[in-house]
Amino acid sequence: MNRGLLAKALRESWRGTLVLGVGLAVAEVALAYALLKFQDELSVLWSQITFLQRAFRAIFGADVAGRPGPEMLSAIAWVHPAVFALVWAHAITYCTRIPAGEVDRGTIDVLLGMPVSRWQLYRTETIAWLASGAVILLLGAAGNMFGHLVAAGGARPDPRRLAIVIANLFCLYLAVGGLAWLVSAPSDRRGRAMGVVFAFVLASFLLNYLAQFWSPAERVSFLSLLHYYRPLPILHDGTWPVRDMIILLLSGGGLWTVGGFIFARRDLSTL
Amino acid sequence: MDVIVTESLTRRYGRRIGIEEMSLAVPEGSLFGFLGPNGSGKTTTIRVLLGFLRPTRGRATLFGLDCWRDTRRIKAEVGYLPGDLRLYPWMNGIEALRLFGSIRRRDLEREGRELAGRFDLDLGIKVRNMSRGMRQKLGLILAMAHRPRLLVLDEPTASLDPLMQEQLRVHLRTLATAGHTIFFSSHTLSEVEVLCDRVAILREGRLVADATLEELRRRSRRAVTIRWKNRADAAQDPPPFLELQERDGQNWTGLLAGSVTDLVCWASSQPIEDLTLGRPDLEVLFRRYYEHEREPS
Repeated sequence: MNRGLLAKALRESWRGTLVLGVGLAVAEVALAYALLKFQDELSVLWSQITFLQRAFRAIFGADVAGRPGPEMLSAIAWVHPAVFALVWAHAITYCTRIPAGEVDRGTIDVLLGMPVSRWQLYRTETIAWLASGAVILLLGAAGNMFGHLVAAGGARPDPRRLAIVIANLFCLYLAVGGLAWLVSAPSDRRGRAMGVVFAFVLASFLLNYLAQFWSPAERVSFLSLLHYYRPLPILHDGTWPVRDMIILLLSGGGLWTVGGFIFARRDLSTL
Repeated sequence: MDVIVTESLTRRYGRRIGIEEMSLAVPEGSLFGFLGPNGSGKTTTIRVLLGFLRPTRGRATLFGLDCWRDTRRIKAEVGYLPGDLRLYPWMNGIEALRLFGSIRRRDLEREGRELAGRFDLDLGIKVRNMSRGMRQKLGLILAMAHRPRLLVLDEPTASLDPLMQEQLRVHLRTLATAGHTIFFSSHTLSEVEVLCDRVAILREGRLVADATLEELRRRSRRAVTIRWKNRADAAQDPPPFLELQERDGQNWTGLLAGSVTDLVCWASSQPIEDLTLGRPDLEVLFRRYYEHEREPS
């Protein structure tokens, strides 16, 4: 690892990390507070509308018909589209910095004109990314805890179960990031790379959703990254989703590694 | 010892030629001019030398190390100024020196401040607020602050005022005298002519000349102007060793294609009022290299 490269990566990314981290914390406070505040109304609504149950089953990745309890309300705070948008936005924007971002703004020449290897640059940026990703999710967890504390009612999240959800979400974040590294590796245009990754995660989200209503989609739902992120069973049972996390980690790690090889071997031209 | 060596170096972009069969040797401590018009392959060559592009064929080494495989080791000894310089807009000169020093694991601040004084650059200004010329100066300082053995400059005088161009030339000469090698890419002959001791000329990706300036001057033709005593004499055909470019009344303007002795012998028998023989003109030679398909003899 090169300290100068790490300092540069952190210097360039801390603002974005802070904005998205605070955004996630605020979203979690608002969701946790609102869901607990209106849990009675939500429970009534829940039992009356079947479609809502199916829709949430799609988002949670688990059957929720008989569980309109506090775990389900807590889980909503971790599967809300705003949460996904913030977490994925960070993964996508960060992981397309190298090389697509550097080539796009024409600074790759200056950066690689110094005695650093491409792998060294790739690894150092990855370390900074992992650290900032952890910060974002911890801010989100802190926001969730704070929202619960502020809201009326005694439904406080179990810290152990919350930690497992965060770990599962971090694995999902790594998988999306791994994809972004891979797409960025051969790319010269950051905007295009971000668009491709966004399209993929959106498709992944929709596939997971459709799988609950449409059997052809259900057969291929294992291809969706969200298939391996299920906060509701975690909050209900407190068990580690080991298999899901391993699949997400292997996907992210594999995509990252292939991206690294592509970056190390590709031609770099700002012309 | 040769610092840069290329052997049959070829780089293609699909069907398009970047550089073709380039064999080049740049001796240590030399001020090496790398000339060619836009799109002739100068930047492609530099990008191959610095490990940004992989050669399609052939071999390129710096300090005896392979430019692609050993690029990290090589760049510890290289200072590079890209042709299209882009710096991080959020940093100022001091931050840039600290950052680059941290990446290079060397203290660049002292030398950088000294160079900034020489090039009259305020290091406290953010890059985003700098003019093009100021950014170019900062790029030069960052390329030179670690006192590299080899300095690769891709059109370094672009956006520098004449005073700073002269300052840069003086500094580069000092570096070369101290044993540093300068690889100076340009499309302007005049700046290479006043600075470099050896020149390679590139056209359409191919090396069409690689010689010292003295050798090139010997190859280049002298401009000749002749004023005849009367108009009728000026109407005659020129001798074979004189390439006439313009005939204007009693005046001829042309290039000497033979020896000075031939010209003097011929002129002594002609009704000539005045004859001027210019210095060997590299510009003419350079233009011929650029324009013609065949290498001039």
